[in-house]
Amino acid sequence: MRGDMEAKYDFDRKFRRQVLQCSRCGFCQSVCPVFGFSLRPAYNARGKMLLLKEVMDGTIDLNDELIETLFQCTTCGACEENCPSGVNVPDIIKQARKDMVNIGSCHPAFKGMHEVLENHSDIYAEDDLPDFGRERNRKAPYVFFIGCVGAYREEEATESILDLLDYLKVDYTLIDEVCCSGVLGDVGYSINDRLAEKNVERILATGAHTLITGCPYCARTFHGKPEYQKLKDSGVKILHVSQFLKDFDFGVTTSRKVTYHDPCDLGRHCGIYEEPRETIAKIAPDFVEMRHNREKALCCGAGGGVRGAYAANSIAMARRRLQEAEEIGAEVLLTECNSCVHNLANAKLRKQKVKILTTAQFIQELLEEEDKI
Amino acid sequence: MPEDLYYEENHLWVRDEGDLLLVGMDDFGQKMAGDIVYVQLPDEGKKLKMGKKFAKVESGKWLGKVFAPVNGELVEVNEELETNPGLINEDCYGEGWMYKVKADDKAELEQLIKGPEAIEKWVLAEIEKYAQE
Repeated sequence: MRGDMEAKYDFDRKFRRQVLQCSRCGFCQSVCPVFGFSLRPAYNARGKMLLLKEVMDGTIDLNDELIETLFQCTTCGACEENCPSGVNVPDIIKQARKDMVNIGSCHPAFKGMHEVLENHSDIYAEDDLPDFGRERNRKAPYVFFIGCVGAYREEEATESILDLLDYLKVDYTLIDEVCCSGVLGDVGYSINDRLAEKNVERILATGAHTLITGCPYCARTFHGKPEYQKLKDSGVKILHVSQFLKDFDFGVTTSRKVTYHDPCDLGRHCGIYEEPRETIAKIAPDFVEMRHNREKALCCGAGGGVRGAYAANSIAMARRRLQEAEEIGAEVLLTECNSCVHNLANAKLRKQKVKILTTAQFIQELLEEEDKI
Repeated sequence: MPEDLYYEENHLWVRDEGDLLLVGMDDFGQKMAGDIVYVQLPDEGKKLKMGKKFAKVESGKWLGKVFAPVNGELVEVNEELETNPGLINEDCYGEGWMYKVKADDKAELEQLIKGPEAIEKWVLAEIEKYAQE
């Protein structure tokens, strides 16, 4: 037992009370996406808290054997939402991952991601930002920030958002953006100052009063991380595209049955549940919720670096979410996150006919169908 | 690298099976990719244009584009890859085949890499290219 010895790790120093607060009730188990597909109790929040308590007690130590457990968490926050004891699990996990990295125990994919962002401008090390046929770095009232997944993996979703902004006559510019690097804070590291400084400098150089992004994680990072505080201090308003679009009318509707998947980074982590639904309500009268929605939404499995480190497991988690869309007979599944679109689309089986799109993509599709563009 | 196959420069192999061409990823490609987690399987009937991207393959953070080796039509996909994409890693020339293609004109196969000498030259150049990266 540790007794009154000095705490060995930061997670212990910062979150000792929180870890001890876990009453081992297991409410987290029913909502944990990792447990949901793996059925392994060590993977849900309770299992992780028990392990961390043992580390605090000195009966085990942090080491490579804990990588599979501590790094396999999408940091979706469903456990925290469902925890009667109020344990802030994602923050504890993120700190424990930092402690792991500090002692040299890290999942190789996360170590790789850190190294990539030391030397490159995006998480895929592609360094070839597409311009989508738009001007960059010009003076404009709005900046549209794409994010790595939108730029390099879900280009069609990005193209649709940009086309829609053009249709709405929004005066925006793209910038020579680099990864916001927020994800590093989830996987045991910290935001990369060099990248953050570049983004801040390039956003401010446009003179924009509003920064719109299609990526919930980028929005979260710009809002919450001190490395981006200068944006707010300079009066730049930060919006996720779903917040921006809710004030427009598009003049198109669909008869198809539509549902909405709450991205964890937008929903549980930013509290943005209603804005996307307000927009969807205008275009899809036959809207139906999935069994788990809003605060209780089931994570698609892509977050917390898990898509990079445990891709097959991410896809298995997304298949569980798609089952919920199937249960209600949804023909279209909309979401507001390129990572969710990517993972859900990868997981979709050929026999599943549900279309997976961002809301902007779907609106754009409806506009094109009705020849309004 | 089996010497009886045709190769597309982005590491697809093509086997002439008479009416249809069988297409998959070669061993060099699957080794470079690592554990494959996703293979896009477009609907049958898709028209393929030689040299144009028609599908994607992913392993973790790596994304591979699949380019049509000839002009033609996609007539069948290996549905096993939907739930077991790792078949490409396990048996890339057999169980891990990816697509069956009906070529518009099989003479286009001659534009691909074929024969022991051409294959050796190409693979050595590829090794050098990736070693430099």
